[in-house]
Amino acid sequence: MSLFLRQLGWELYRLFARRRSWLGFGTFLAVETLFYWFWTRERSKAGMANFIERVAGGFDEYFSALTLGFLIVVFTMILLGVVFVSLIAGDILAKETEDGNLRLLLVRPISRLRLLVIKFLSCQIYTSVLFLFVGTTALGFGLIERGWGGGMLVWAPEIPRVSLFEWNEGLFRYFIAIFAFSLIYLPVTGTAFMLGCFRIKPAAATIITVALFLADRILSAIPLPAFDPYREYFVTPRMASWLLLLYQEIPWPRFFESAFWLVGFGLTGFLVGWIAFERRDVKS
Amino acid sequence: MLEFLGVTKRFHGAATRALDDVSFSVGKGRICGLLGHNGAGKSTALGILLGLVHPDAGEVRIAGISVQNQRERAVAKLGAIFESPAFYDYLSGWRNLKVLTAYSGGVDEALMRETIEWVGLSARIHDPVGKYSHGMRQRLALAQALLPRPEMLVLDEPTDGLDPEGIVEFRRQLLELREVMNITVLFSSHLLSEVEQVCDEVVILRSGKKVYEGEVSASLLGQTLYRIEAKDQEILDRIVQSFRGEKHGDRYAFPVECNPSELLATFVKEGSGITCFAPEPPSLESLYLHAGREEKGGTA
Repeated sequence: MSLFLRQLGWELYRLFARRRSWLGFGTFLAVETLFYWFWTRERSKAGMANFIERVAGGFDEYFSALTLGFLIVVFTMILLGVVFVSLIAGDILAKETEDGNLRLLLVRPISRLRLLVIKFLSCQIYTSVLFLFVGTTALGFGLIERGWGGGMLVWAPEIPRVSLFEWNEGLFRYFIAIFAFSLIYLPVTGTAFMLGCFRIKPAAATIITVALFLADRILSAIPLPAFDPYREYFVTPRMASWLLLLYQEIPWPRFFESAFWLVGFGLTGFLVGWIAFERRDVKS
Repeated sequence: MLEFLGVTKRFHGAATRALDDVSFSVGKGRICGLLGHNGAGKSTALGILLGLVHPDAGEVRIAGISVQNQRERAVAKLGAIFESPAFYDYLSGWRNLKVLTAYSGGVDEALMRETIEWVGLSARIHDPVGKYSHGMRQRLALAQALLPRPEMLVLDEPTDGLDPEGIVEFRRQLLELREVMNITVLFSSHLLSEVEQVCDEVVILRSGKKVYEGEVSASLLGQTLYRIEAKDQEILDRIVQSFRGEKHGDRYAFPVECNPSELLATFVKEGSGITCFAPEPPSLESLYLHAGREEKGGTA
């Protein structure tokens, strides 16, 4: 186990030492800055003030750093989440195969399965770190604008009614939800990783993954009765289940049902990728 | 130490076999050259040996352990260098070695330093690999192949792109490794002179088939090469034919029993206007040509 952790540690070191990996953090920060600017404009704030006064009362109380942070996270992730996670997961194997790095690893006394597990876990850890970074910096923007304290108001189309939290509970829910959000992204990681296991260009693995999830999002949003029997198979609506952790009363059975489904989807992607990779000839 | 047993491989969609029932063996402490033109099957053979490529039939054994059935155990005995080794350019040489050796269970830092010193990279080991010259990359490749101590080295065109000094140094290191560590080496190359200078034995592949396996000694060929130039080409060709000789490029191959004095005397006596008559020492090239000829004749 300690050897496995050491190998994982070096893989993470390698991943985070790459400038390309930090570009993701920089891009997220830039987009967060954009949304921070948007949400702190007077006209945006006036719109929010109307809404908050109507549903909760007390704009100054509920338009807090946490509420602002939540808004920044949601919009940033909608815009960049799938693209960056699939970029990292699609790259980690396909790019190394293309560059020839993988051959140097594969001639070491390590099974292909173990190598893939290490790479896959690295992707997932990277995703979680990235999401927590976005959550923390978004909260940082919120603190700059609104300071420490106040309540937290959460609303999204997926949430049946507005949730209101005290500062401490809001802070806890905020970070737990963001961490769960990163785990719930496993289908994206799994799909891009699976594609990277085939003989495919790294960019193709990323583009196909983004296209698949975009198609899923669009089709799932079409209110066509013909789709109804298949609606439970759409992935992206389930990926919104991190918001369940921001319900006033968390519906745990619903959350776990969706979480297990999504984790299963991601791990199936890994499994298919592993089978393909195991059978594959790695030749220069 | 190394055994190829009836290894066959055809890649998906390929018309011909990349390797066709190839068998050979290399003894402990020997340096064996794997020779062949581009596409002869050298890289496929090395890929199968390293467990990177799955054979359709046959098996490779390292110290009696099957690569196909117990890959990790077999490969633990190997170190490998590829043509144009691809490292993580943004990491230092030291960090690259750390990452790679972690997959071999880790290596003691003292051994790492000793190996780095031996390959002559100590001064630059903490620089990013992206700033390394080709020669330095190759030295780093040798260092990673030697960590931890392997029983066998597999080298795929290791001197490609090296300058003459680099080639000489690499050759020296290889011979020293064999001397000090009794290491077995399988050395793939298309450079005949390179293989000739370091290898004890050669295996020649042509179109996926083994056409020769044995010592690097032309006495096994039954042929000697001559460089011959004459003013009258017609007479030259006639004499060559009468002595059972053959033209190979700009040289002529004659059976070893052919007496050079008698041959030269015939050229003079027949009035061929001979301007050059130079027997060439037995070389790997003659071996290679011979192997090709045998294969074409279907006798190999």
